[in-house]
Amino acid sequence: MTDGWQERVIDEIAQAWTVTVKDIKVYYLRPGMIMFGVLMPFFLFFSFSIRRHIAATQGEARLLALTLLFTAAAAGPFIIPLERRLGTYDRLMAAPMSLLTLLLGKMAVGALFAIAVSLVALLAGVLVFGVAVAHPWLLAVGILLGACCFAALGLVFGSIPTRSPGDVQMPSVLLRWGLLFISGVFVPLRDMAPLARAVAYLSPLTYAQDLMDHAVAGTGMLSPHLDVAALLLFGILFLSPSIWLHRRSRQLGY
Amino acid sequence: MVTSHDVEAIEVENLTKRYGRPGEGVLAVDHISFAVHRGEVFGFLGPNGAGKTTTQRMLTTLLEPSEGRIIINGYDLARDAYPVKRQMGLVPEESNVYTELTAWDNLMFTARLYRVPRKERAERARELLQAFGLWEKRDIKVEAFSKGMRRRLSIAMAIVHRPSLLFLDEPTPGLDAQSTRAIRDLVRRLNAEGTTIFLTTHQIEEANQLCDRVAIINHGRIAAIDTPERLKRAFQRVQSVEVALEPDGQRHGDALAALPGVTTAVKMGDKWRLYTQDPSSLLPLVVDYAREHQARIVSLSTLGPSLEDVFLEITGQSVGTVRHETQEGDGRRPGMRGRRGGRR
Repeated sequence: MTDGWQERVIDEIAQAWTVTVKDIKVYYLRPGMIMFGVLMPFFLFFSFSIRRHIAATQGEARLLALTLLFTAAAAGPFIIPLERRLGTYDRLMAAPMSLLTLLLGKMAVGALFAIAVSLVALLAGVLVFGVAVAHPWLLAVGILLGACCFAALGLVFGSIPTRSPGDVQMPSVLLRWGLLFISGVFVPLRDMAPLARAVAYLSPLTYAQDLMDHAVAGTGMLSPHLDVAALLLFGILFLSPSIWLHRRSRQLGY
Repeated sequence: MVTSHDVEAIEVENLTKRYGRPGEGVLAVDHISFAVHRGEVFGFLGPNGAGKTTTQRMLTTLLEPSEGRIIINGYDLARDAYPVKRQMGLVPEESNVYTELTAWDNLMFTARLYRVPRKERAERARELLQAFGLWEKRDIKVEAFSKGMRRRLSIAMAIVHRPSLLFLDEPTPGLDAQSTRAIRDLVRRLNAEGTTIFLTTHQIEEANQLCDRVAIINHGRIAAIDTPERLKRAFQRVQSVEVALEPDGQRHGDALAALPGVTTAVKMGDKWRLYTQDPSSLLPLVVDYAREHQARIVSLSTLGPSLEDVFLEITGQSVGTVRHETQEGDGRRPGMRGRRGGRR
């Protein structure tokens, strides 16, 4: 082991990555992850898009935003309560690393899952439906930021003191459904009433959807800079309740 | 931070854990203080719900104390947990291994988590898997492992980074005799190599065999703390005479319990254990009884107090499979009570 703050930072990054790789090996193919993270966004997409005559680029942007939200946010509420129940979370909490390191490692699990599934959705759009991406670099930034932001959102639910994944998955899914209908995914921002639009600005999904619109179709309504900044800010903000909830868990004994 | 080599491995002052609001919640650990010396095996004994695991979870940073102070290897746990975490290993009651991974992957994961240098990881994992009899199974997923194998792997994972302090929570319940012996031997070996061991258990015999000192916790408070032998000496009043009679050894319980000086008679398998303050006076009475009732004495021995006797005295629990109490012993009528068995 090493000493000094630089070495400590290197240690912490390596430990976060160790947690991420372990979770990828252990949890990615678990039914809960597949159901809530992969199948759900595709079902939702087809439910709300079939027979609605939308352009391929618009559909692709919508699918990507949905995928980012549902897939990235699926990991935290599934993995952390399950690990608490199995006792393996104690191993992580007792390890010589900061809570932030552990949370970043867990966040990366959801983010990488969302990036991988989004790439599949993107490839399908490009190869099957001939979608042409307007701004590939913006798309890459959007997918990365959206994945991290929504993975951090999932962490908030995962951090709730409980040992039962079911206790947090239902509220987590309900929140995601709620976001879906207020964030300009199915009703574009520009078509919303002023009050609905004001509510939409409170949702991180609004900025993810707008960024996808910019990147894929070149038709976003807000500034892409604002979208990027908002996703970054929401991602950082979501870490705070996770840290607080973990400290609360330590007091309660979860 | 204290850097002296003379510091205790663990120092606990007024440690308290309260669940819920003050005055309303449950007081799980009630202002306990004790020290664990470096290099010793320290047993933390107590009945279920006494506060053992709660205390251990506070010592391992998994649970935040309500009050009190914990100092480990000179570091205050509340302010400086990082260096402590590097020096400690934890084996919880349930083997918390990743069943979807192989034994090898489990060990390598823990080695990476504890930043064991890359060059040493594989060598250390091989060494531990061989020492724990798991080398041949290293590439098999842990879901196929028996409980004993998982337990051994769990311990291997806890010591992969060579901790100076190892917390073991109930290491052997539910294991077969072979696995139990292997784990106890391992604890002795680790301790011989200099590892301080904090053993939480409700298995008295395990503590008796392994521990240099034991603390007995009951209702969240430390009821006694000393070496097993000194604790036994302090409870000489729980001496006993153990006798096995044939034929029909079972039927003699009431009569044996009624012999002068017997405070309690407890059935221990095919034997009767007669508790008394004066075994030497009781022995001839037992021999006379056997002769008068034409019973053959298969075995007859006097026993000092066991750690279990001490534990049960301190925690005020009733004991045994069948227990006959005499009027002379406690002023009550003879009766039947349960008791946990076990020979020394």
